[in-house]
Amino acid sequence: MAKTYQYCVATNWGKGFIDHVESQRITFKGLPGDVWQVPAYNKHGNLWIAKVGGVVKTVAEAQAIVDAEVQTAQAAWDALPDAEKAPALEMNTRPTDITLEE
Amino acid sequence: MTTYKGINGTAIQNFAGDPPTPITGQVWYDSVAATFQYRTESTAGAWATGGSLNTARSQLGGAGTQISTLAFGGNTPTVTAITESYDGTSWTEVNDLNTARGEMASAGTQTSAIAAGGNTGSTVGNTETWNGSAWTEVADLNTARKLLGSAGADNTSALAFGGQPYPASAALTELWNGSAWTEVNDLNDDRDRLTGTGIATAALAIGGNDFGINKAVTESWNGTSWTEVNDLNTARYGLGGTGVQTSSLVFGGNVPSPVSALTEEWNGVSWVEVADLTTARTEMSAAGTTAAGLAVGGDTGSVTAATEEWNSPSTSNETITTS
Repeated sequence: MAKTYQYCVATNWGKGFIDHVESQRITFKGLPGDVWQVPAYNKHGNLWIAKVGGVVKTVAEAQAIVDAEVQTAQAAWDALPDAEKAPALEMNTRPTDITLEE
Repeated sequence: MTTYKGINGTAIQNFAGDPPTPITGQVWYDSVAATFQYRTESTAGAWATGGSLNTARSQLGGAGTQISTLAFGGNTPTVTAITESYDGTSWTEVNDLNTARGEMASAGTQTSAIAAGGNTGSTVGNTETWNGSAWTEVADLNTARKLLGSAGADNTSALAFGGQPYPASAALTELWNGSAWTEVNDLNDDRDRLTGTGIATAALAIGGNDFGINKAVTESWNGTSWTEVNDLNTARYGLGGTGVQTSSLVFGGNVPSPVSALTEEWNGVSWVEVADLTTARTEMSAAGTTAAGLAVGGDTGSVTAATEEWNSPSTSNETITTS
């Protein structure tokens, strides 16, 4: 099955990392661990990855990076004092697992 | 033969790249790329990355425009008093709040802002005003609370509504006249973690949460009382909001978990879904307008320093192709 998305790791340097033209041409999804999802087989996606010096990852590699970041955030949340966690439990704010799409 | 000069009365200009200030419809030759280019405008808005905060945090206050912004306080995740100023490109640290806190009400401009209530570890009613260079403690809210919504033009005129005088959420609304808070008519629907847009005499209270139930409710303030208007398409809390009563933009939040990238635009009557944030987040601050908005910091699962700039309509330079 042809994949829909491709993934890369790139550090957001701020202004100009994603500009409005790029954002209009393709849909970006920023994920934990500086992982970015852009459309696969897409000229504009490829040009953006080259622009930001993105390191392309397979879905499995990207998933492992995201999982590690989410697990760190979950551990930090779990370590919160009960007094802070009580309202957070009500709001269900514990970071949730993220499953990347092919 | 029809020529560009014949139609427009001028020849196509040659640039080594793009013209310095192209106008919509302009055509030029890019001698570097060896292509003909044109300037186009899209009515659809889009998010782009902006300059990153020096200190990553969530639940911070914000005021100003997209290119002239103030961000203050928040959770790093511990409470902070740090204040930063944005010039459209980068953030600079300026003088701190007197009382470190997050989850406050905030409104105003880069040179005239207000921070009210919040959470220092305890729920507080402290109010501070910013004069462009320093924060000054002024009169407290009548009811100390955190996670409240707000609207206001500057540090002399603001509205604070909803929130959480722990453990229950509130419908309380208070009006700031530059020297004191006065209780005015309550929201119809009590809630916390909502957002607000507009000014003290014409505002919107949007979304929020009440005891774990997400709210899509939108209420409109006419200077005297709140009236329910059309709901958000997606109920959520922790969302950012900017704009005025007749034209607002909301983005992100919790739906309830994970965090959301959803963006909706208010046209004065109803909410319309528009392009998502590039990075889903909640508990950010917001500034600007529906034409030029700013999402600042927040929580993506952990605190972030990233900002995003919304522009609608947006312009771009495109290549003329023959295929």
